[in-house]
This record gives sequence, structure tokens and C-alpha cells, in this order.
Amino acid sequence: MNDGPRISLDSALTTLARRREQQVVVATMTALAPWRAKAGTDRDIGCVGFMGGASTFGLGIALARPDVPVWIIDGDGSLMMQLGSLVTIANAAPRRFLHVVLHNGVYDTSGAQPILVEGTVSFTGLAEAAGYARAVRFDNVESFDAALDELLEVDGPVLVELMTQATGAGYVTPAPTETRQRHALALAWPALRDALAGA
Amino acid sequence: MPLAQSIPAAMLYDAILDAGITDIVAVPDTHQRSLIELIVERGTPPFIQAATEDEAIAIAAGMIIGGRRPLLQIQHAGLYACVNNLRGLGIDAEFPIPMLIGLLGRDVTRTPRDNHDSMVRYAEPLLDTLEIPHVLLDGPDDVERLGEACRQAWERSGPVAILVGAATI
Repeated sequence: MNDGPRISLDSALTTLARRREQQVVVATMTALAPWRAKAGTDRDIGCVGFMGGASTFGLGIALARPDVPVWIIDGDGSLMMQLGSLVTIANAAPRRFLHVVLHNGVYDTSGAQPILVEGTVSFTGLAEAAGYARAVRFDNVESFDAALDELLEVDGPVLVELMTQATGAGYVTPAPTETRQRHALALAWPALRDALAGA
Repeated sequence: MPLAQSIPAAMLYDAILDAGITDIVAVPDTHQRSLIELIVERGTPPFIQAATEDEAIAIAAGMIIGGRRPLLQIQHAGLYACVNNLRGLGIDAEFPIPMLIGLLGRDVTRTPRDNHDSMVRYAEPLLDTLEIPHVLLDGPDDVERLGEACRQAWERSGPVAILVGAATI
């Protein structure tokens, strides 16, 4: 584990929530429920059931609606599952695209197993090498808060790597259902599509 | 005796436009090289390249939320590579994603299921397992099926596969 200072998930989300306006927010894993509780609107959509896809899911929205800012609240283990997405996003160059990576160093939902090369991996370095317009790492919430407004004005994809504390929140396996149920995302995305169409 | 003939890229391109496709989300496919070259040369629909097929599916899904009607353009090996995202976004989340899939290396004297190459042989059975409708374009006479397949994807709100039987020219 990286032994440096760490930001709590709650303070990280609170800092983002203070800037919440009309952005579409794609959150995943341990951030999903607390984000919705703190700042959820009809412009939220979750990445559940397609591991590591939060950022490219958001990229699609950003390409279709370049007038709408898109924020991604990603996990370190999640991003590692589709690390090539960094070059895909850099190449597409969405203009108002904030990619927050919560770097807590572990697979928080599955038992806190460490991510690979924790302690040396730099998502900021990976994003810079891929070609993001800006990539910045923060290990305290005050610095993050002070820099965020300027980062939100950058023309191009921005990756913010937040060194966060693991939550210890394990995954709660849903109970099997007696009948086939429609997936929550199938019910959610048409509403977001309609909300954006009316905007 | 060949069962499949190459389809001219221009014919497929026109069918894509006629179907109402707004964007191509792709991972490059040798089998459809001439079509990719034509789309890029014409500049419309926009050609969005992804590093992996998993990403391409997620991008397409996001674009649908944004009001677009994208076409996924991949190869059979890419279909195998992206099964989880296809399941999660196409099947479970019901995103209407038409997929143009090249059967690279197909022996055109045999049906895809009778090919010796596993990448060709397993494509249709995999789609059947996933309950994804599919059509086979085995020559110029089949091109109109592209538009039908796109409409089927939009009407059923799920993925539909359009298999390209012989390399495009």
C-alpha cells in the first residue's frame, strides 16, 4: 500500500457535490451509492454490470452531447480492467470531461485485495502518457478543493487521481430472484436520454 | 462453389446511411478494411475508434443516451473479447446496438458453422447462446438486410448482429 496521506471518500464526494450543476455523472462501485445520496439528480447513471466501463460509457454521452459536461467517478481497480480506455478517451478528446479516479489501492468491494503495482502505479502518469489534456494527483482534500474550479475549465479530458481511504464496504450479493427481472440500468437510461433530449 | 461473395464497400456504406446510422464505433477489422477506409475518407458518419471492443460497446451505449444511433463495427474475435459488456449493456441494460461483424478467414465454400476455423465456426452459436438475433450478408443481394437488422435492434431494444460473410472490396 501507498502509506502517504489519504482523502476520505466522503470528503472527496462532498468537494465534487459542491460543484454539481447540470453535469451528467457516471459513478461506479463504492462511490455509486454515497454519490447518489449526496448529490444525485436525474442526470446520474451508474456503471453496474460492465466492469471498468464507466469512462467509455461517459465518453459516449460526451461525444453525443458535447454541450453537456460529463463527470466520471471511477475506481482504480475498475479503470485497470479497461486501461486502454485512457487512450481511447484521449484520442476522442471530449472537451468537458472530468475523469475522477478514486485511488484507494484495493478492490474495496471484493475483500480489499490490493490492486496490482500499488505503491508505484500512477494513474496521473498513465493519463498524461495517453494524452489527456491535464492529469493531477491529490492526497489532501484542501488542495483538491482549491484546484477543482480551474480544472473544470480545461478544454479537453482531465483526469484527477484522488488518493483515498478504502471504505471497507464489501459487495452485498443480491438475493436470487424467482423470476427474471429487468436490469436497473435498462430502466434508468431511457429517463436520462429523455432528460437530455429535453435540455 | 463459393457460398459468399464480396460486397463492395460503397454498397454497404449506402446501406448504413439509408438505415439512419449516425455514428460508427469501431475497432479496426481486416475483413472490412475497404469499408473502414471509405467511411474515414467520406468523414460521415463520424468514425469513432476504440482500443477494445468492450470500450466500443460502452461508447455506443453512451451515445444512445445522447440521442444517437451508432453502429458497432468489429471482427469476430472482438465479439468473443467483449462478451461481458455485450451481456451487461446489450442484453441486461437493453441498449439497441446493431453490430457489423466481419468473419475474417472464413472459407467461403462452407457455411460459417461448417468452417474449420474456430473464430468463424463459433460466431453464430455464440450469438444463439446469448439470444442475439443475427443475419448473414453473403453477397450484394443480402445488403438490404443491414437496414432490417438495425431496425430490429431499435425495435427490440437490444443488440442485433450483422455478419459479413466475405471480405469487403
